[in-house]
Amino acid sequence: MIKNYFKIALRNLFKNKGYTLINIGGLSLGMAIVLLIGLWVYDELTFDKNHDNYDHIAQVMMWRTRNGKKAIRYAMPYPLGNELREKYGEDFKHVVMSSFHGDNILSFEEKNLSLRSGFMESGALSIFSLDMIYGNWDGLNNPNSIVLSETVSKAFFGTENPLGKTMKVNNELNVLVTGVYRDIAHNTTLKGLDFIVPWELYSVLYPWVKAAKDNNRWDNNSYQLYVQVADGSTMTSVNGRIKDVIYNNLPEYGRKSQPELVLHPMKNWHLRSNWKNGVNAGGFIQYVWLFGTIGLFVLLLACINFMNLSTAQSEKRAKEVGIRKTVGSSKYQLINQFLSESFLVVLVAFTVAVVMVFIAMPWFNQLADKQIVFPFKSVTFWVVSVVFVSLTSILAGSYPALYLSSFRPVKVLKGTFKTGKSTTSFRKALVVVQFTVSVILVIGTIVVEKQVDYSKNRPIGYNMNSLIMIEKTTNNFDGKYNVIRNELINSGAVVEMAESSSPLTDVWSTNGGFEWKDKDPNFITSIATNSVSHDYGKTVGWDLVQGRDFSRTFATDSTAFILNEAAVKYMGLKDPVGKTIRWNNGEHQVIGVVKDILAKSPFEPVLQTVYMINYPNTNWIELKLNPERSITSSLSSVEAILSKHVPNVPFDYQFVDDTFAEKFEAVERIRKLSTIFAIFAIFISCLGLFGLASFIAEQRTKEIGIRKVVGASIFSLWQLLSKDFVKLVMLAIIVATPLAYFGVTKWLNNYTYRTEVSWWVFAISGIGAIGITLFTVSFQALKVAVTNPIKSLRAE
Amino acid sequence: MILQLKNIFKWVNSGGNRIFLLNDIDFTVNEGEFISIMGPSGSGKTTLLNVIGMLDGFNEGEYTFLDESVHDLKEKHRANLYKEYIGFVFQAYHLIDELTVYENIETPLLYKKHSSSERKAMVADMLDRFNIVGKKDLFPSQLSGGQQQLVGIARALVSSPKLILADEPTGNLNSTQGEEIMQLFKKLNDEGVTIIQVTHSEKNAAYGSRTIHLKDGLIVNN
Repeated sequence: MIKNYFKIALRNLFKNKGYTLINIGGLSLGMAIVLLIGLWVYDELTFDKNHDNYDHIAQVMMWRTRNGKKAIRYAMPYPLGNELREKYGEDFKHVVMSSFHGDNILSFEEKNLSLRSGFMESGALSIFSLDMIYGNWDGLNNPNSIVLSETVSKAFFGTENPLGKTMKVNNELNVLVTGVYRDIAHNTTLKGLDFIVPWELYSVLYPWVKAAKDNNRWDNNSYQLYVQVADGSTMTSVNGRIKDVIYNNLPEYGRKSQPELVLHPMKNWHLRSNWKNGVNAGGFIQYVWLFGTIGLFVLLLACINFMNLSTAQSEKRAKEVGIRKTVGSSKYQLINQFLSESFLVVLVAFTVAVVMVFIAMPWFNQLADKQIVFPFKSVTFWVVSVVFVSLTSILAGSYPALYLSSFRPVKVLKGTFKTGKSTTSFRKALVVVQFTVSVILVIGTIVVEKQVDYSKNRPIGYNMNSLIMIEKTTNNFDGKYNVIRNELINSGAVVEMAESSSPLTDVWSTNGGFEWKDKDPNFITSIATNSVSHDYGKTVGWDLVQGRDFSRTFATDSTAFILNEAAVKYMGLKDPVGKTIRWNNGEHQVIGVVKDILAKSPFEPVLQTVYMINYPNTNWIELKLNPERSITSSLSSVEAILSKHVPNVPFDYQFVDDTFAEKFEAVERIRKLSTIFAIFAIFISCLGLFGLASFIAEQRTKEIGIRKVVGASIFSLWQLLSKDFVKLVMLAIIVATPLAYFGVTKWLNNYTYRTEVSWWVFAISGIGAIGITLFTVSFQALKVAVTNPIKSLRAE
Repeated sequence: MILQLKNIFKWVNSGGNRIFLLNDIDFTVNEGEFISIMGPSGSGKTTLLNVIGMLDGFNEGEYTFLDESVHDLKEKHRANLYKEYIGFVFQAYHLIDELTVYENIETPLLYKKHSSSERKAMVADMLDRFNIVGKKDLFPSQLSGGQQQLVGIARALVSSPKLILADEPTGNLNSTQGEEIMQLFKKLNDEGVTIIQVTHSEKNAAYGSRTIHLKDGLIVNN
């Protein structure tokens, strides 16, 4: 019986090739998109999950309340690790202090590489259950050890076992290789961590860390803290116990901001890392939901096509239904037949979709910045696929099956069979749904596009042309500023050089404790501070609006402040230049005000910032390359000069504009994905529309013939046939507009610096939808309209 | 007695008027009969045939088929009944275009519990009997009208029904083909198959053992 069903299904599919192509094409496109989105969602939801202790790992975070606003901090004070270990030991299986991961120089013999790395306590290997190729989880117990990733081990030692080799970190410390771990998976927070060295070395290498350690500084927050909660404890109960640890250890002045510890569970690291006023406010998870929903809608669109096209074929199948019923088929058997038919179609479509996804995988990975591998070998994947195919065939096939199987043989065999109005209106409703979804996606895409443009055109407050940044990864740079600067400028490769504590594209430190005349005593300050060299302003080309730049001719400038406009506003200063600000037991005179430099998020207001001269505190070198010379030759001169003064440090530079552009990566990715989904959604909807149009055109052939005989023009017939569809699409636009407005407004609220939702966005989407509809429908409408009426009337 | 209709009425309401399609039909068919139903267009011939074939219902009256009261039966039982005992032959043949001759004849058997070897034997028997073995792999569109009707009859007969209902079986055929089909019916009737046919032609009606004339839903003579 099934064989018979499939046989007739196949013959029908081959007989109506155009219809089959539209049907299977649309369905496979929809399924391919669902597959891609499904794999993406799975990848996102399993982020960090390959750590065995996933459910028990947390990062310790801190809430601080300033002027009634709660803000979260990832940075912890040095003594916190020991405190938790000693006083709350039964709550934790592991407590691991760690530096923020950054680049450090690793050397072996003549080879130097700048690599992403962390200083971590010895529990790190076991808490993150790293997969050790050589050595074991005790690798970091030796205070002068190093554990390498597989890639790094290969880069230095090839396939050789590196255990026992002595390497050098930052040209200063000799360390012994005690382990090699398999590279940490792509979809993890720790991805790209090239090596780990013991926590103890952090204070050996950096005086400021040593100072924090020796003085037991509870008020300097500069480190990360990972914990693994003991098997018997829950995060909530631990939260309750450790809440006030910082508060209790701080001196009175530090307690003002009411620091409160909270565990940030690993399962939230990637997907829920937004915080608002004391609670976790979601995060990337909203895009997982968004794209998941879009995926389902695209599938729905494809299924609607299937229903529409199958029912449109009903007149052709009606006779078969009638015959089958008279020779003894029951309705139930016919439903089965049509369902197996749709199963067959869906199965073929799925196969095509798998091929499409397989081909599109590298492209999609690049687009979404993923390393998803098509899970051919995963049993779960195939089981889910079977369920997916079955559900889709039921979703797409049940309406046509019920509809077709309900035909009465007496009617259909008499030849007077005509599909009723009710099924046509059902099909019209489906088209409205399709276009509503499409129009919403189009509006969303335009708004995302607009937001990207808007934030990209935001003034940045400095000139990033030919500007490069170099991180000072070792102490070897210290005290060489003037020598290096002179030589670089004399070489002609560089116009100006400066140093700063924060890179141009980020804010590395914020401080409190600022006082000035007329300040509200209850106002707790938090201001970004950037320690710079005298030449910073000239190098980056900032925009001085009041006062003057730092100058070597004024010895007093060593304590002077330059504020950005945001800081002036934040402090409420009327005439800032010449005012005195007290901070860190010193008096600082404001000598100038600069336009806001956009350092952090292009979607948020610029932080209030204070610039001050402090050479020892700098971490970055900024170089303005000579625009008259080629970049390559300038870079090689810079490299030569730097390697002369700071040997054994790899020349690792970044163009400021490139680094700045990375800030848009996430939103750009959303833009690209939503554009693609919107295009496919429209395409699939148009396929459906095309099918419906051809069906209705066919159904009205006789009417058109009569109208033509009595004198209707081709134009008026085209109008007649297109009008109905335009009405449907207009209805869809009316439904879509408020929904889209609600959605995009909600999305834009994520950004403080945001574009507005203009009326023209809706107008363009609406006009576009109607235009595409007319284009799609006209083909069929004109075909019928130009048919010779003798033909169409004879057919009756 | 194979079936009996008693006081059968069927009507439609149109603009406040009741139009009778079948008006008080009393009609008995015995086993082995070959009955022709005649009458002008719109007299209710096809409607009567459809009621007998249980494809269509009626508003009033009693219909007994092989001792079963059809008017009391549920849809499903009714379907089982005609599936078991009735074969249909249509004016327009109504073969499934996507199936071959062989598969078309096989179709009714699929809806009954026959094993595949049984089906093979039964279809082969039919092909043999109607001399169309050579055509078994052709599709309906590759056959002449007469050949298509032959296949239609073979399909009606394959499950050995007690009753064949034929609605103008020769209506779409030329006279030679029509003649052949009627000869075939005669032969089948001689072999014991009960046949009711609707026809416009006196000549075809003459093949039957009895003729019923219908006019406006009424039996004019019996």
